Amino acid sequence: MRRVVLAERPDWRSKAAECGFGFHTIDDAPYWDESAYYAFSLREIEQDIEAPSEELHAMALDLLDGIVGNEQKLRQLAIPEPYWDWIAQSWRERQPHLYGRMDFGYDGSGPAKLYELNYDTPTSLYEAAFFQWQWLEDQLARRQLPAGSDQFNSIYESLVEAFGTIARGIARPFHFAAVRDSVEDQGTIAYLRDCALQAGIDCGSLAIEDIGISADGRFTDLDDRVIGCLFKLYPLEDMFRESFGQYLPRSGLQLIEPPWKALLSNKGILPLLWDAHRGHPNLLAAAFDDGDELPRGWVRKPLHSREGANIAMRLDDGRELRTDGPYREGPCIRQACHPLTGFDGNYPLIGSWIVGDRACGIGIREDRSLITQDSARFVPHAIVEETRGVLIA
Amino acid sequence: MKRSKTAVLLLMSTAPLLLSACDRSESASREGLYTSVEACVAQTNDSATCKQAFDKAQKDAATTAPRFANREECEAKYGKEQCAERNDGANHSFFGPLMTGFFLSQMLRNGSPMSGFNSAPAFRDSNGGWQQPAPGGAGGVYRNGAGSAMVPINATADRAVTTSRSGFGRSGSSRGFGS
Repeated sequence: MRRVVLAERPDWRSKAAECGFGFHTIDDAPYWDESAYYAFSLREIEQDIEAPSEELHAMALDLLDGIVGNEQKLRQLAIPEPYWDWIAQSWRERQPHLYGRMDFGYDGSGPAKLYELNYDTPTSLYEAAFFQWQWLEDQLARRQLPAGSDQFNSIYESLVEAFGTIARGIARPFHFAAVRDSVEDQGTIAYLRDCALQAGIDCGSLAIEDIGISADGRFTDLDDRVIGCLFKLYPLEDMFRESFGQYLPRSGLQLIEPPWKALLSNKGILPLLWDAHRGHPNLLAAAFDDGDELPRGWVRKPLHSREGANIAMRLDDGRELRTDGPYREGPCIRQACHPLTGFDGNYPLIGSWIVGDRACGIGIREDRSLITQDSARFVPHAIVEETRGVLIA
Repeated sequence: MKRSKTAVLLLMSTAPLLLSACDRSESASREGLYTSVEACVAQTNDSATCKQAFDKAQKDAATTAPRFANREECEAKYGKEQCAERNDGANHSFFGPLMTGFFLSQMLRNGSPMSGFNSAPAFRDSNGGWQQPAPGGAGGVYRNGAGSAMVPINATADRAVTTSRSGFGRSGSSRGFGS
């Protein structure tokens, strides 16, 4: 794994505009960054990322039977009691799920280490599945990449295939929803909806704020139609505590991601995974936090923190890093500290995409600090033939 | 090759691109629940697709219909004389409901159906509700099928008077909620 500096495509901004990529620059700061790329060997991709991703995904799903009926574990995961039966039923029925992203610390040496599962509302999907793919094709055509370069990225094909597979199980009308004012979240659901249409599924979209409720507790769209299935790019745990949440279990509304994803998109799954697979090479030691002082070499994370918010990291040398954010309350976990490796002062985090149950690609976000936050930039990657140049040099 | 062979945008693209085969024509889908091939033809005017969809649904019904250990359990759910004995091919017999309809969905482009379709058997339970097998089957992008779990068909959209909105979306964030 190397970080390679490469000239940008001169026309990438106009291409972004043509392809609906409205958030390549956020608050005047670059988000899409093709001034460099990460080069991997095929072995690194297949053995160190793809295979462990599928294994960890299976391990996580295998925990669910033991969680849904276990009051102690549901409490550890801070799942509100009124939702227990609803979540359990969604798992027993194997209500269809679509996608998730695992975040790994990996630098090409040693096993990739799982930081967390983003299994409810993962973003950076469009840029990974589409714009990164187009970057590779363009740079190959411009001969800026070694001939035969490839990319770990069949995310698009997998999404269309997944929608096709679950099409029959999606209740209609089917809507995609995200908060109205987030360009990034709106861009993500626009892409997902594009893929669903390509799979032959008729679907609409609306702002999450526009969802209505009827007198008999059913959810409606702006035409007063009862929503059959809602893809919501909005955290389940936030829905639970908002005023309409109480209606969810008896509304008949189908959700994607389904309710059982609340058990996985929760940092509490990390100690449960560790307990079940202690010493697994891709797992970091983890435990539920008791509130005591954080020892050296540990990280504290809230169960539901997103975008690297409210993280406390105590490095081996005693230095402490903290990020602020909105998740000050609520339970936390601890995870053994495995700091990201710096590449020219940048710290890349590997996001490994799972669509359906298939590991099908990666997207890399790099930040200037050890904790990846919403300031991170998306940097493309390529699979490049392993160089034999070392021998010649 | 570890990457998609192509990457297509249907709605998001505003201009034709060389690399991504954009297709901006109006797309939609058509779906329906039919109790006979004739009813399907009357609606779609496409007898070949209706016949194929029916045949496929009938074939799938043998493997995806819910399974019951005896006739009584099956009839309790699906009604008198609505169940038949079936065999899984390994000399293991069980009871399942008779297919009472089929579901057809097709992608349309500029109002005309594109090639290919999805179809599935449909079963009517004793309460009059329509159901189809949940998606699944081993292989493909999903590792485990959902077995013979059944999901309701909402072929026609239901309406209800909305009494309030804005009950979701109040948890504040400057950047959105994705992660």
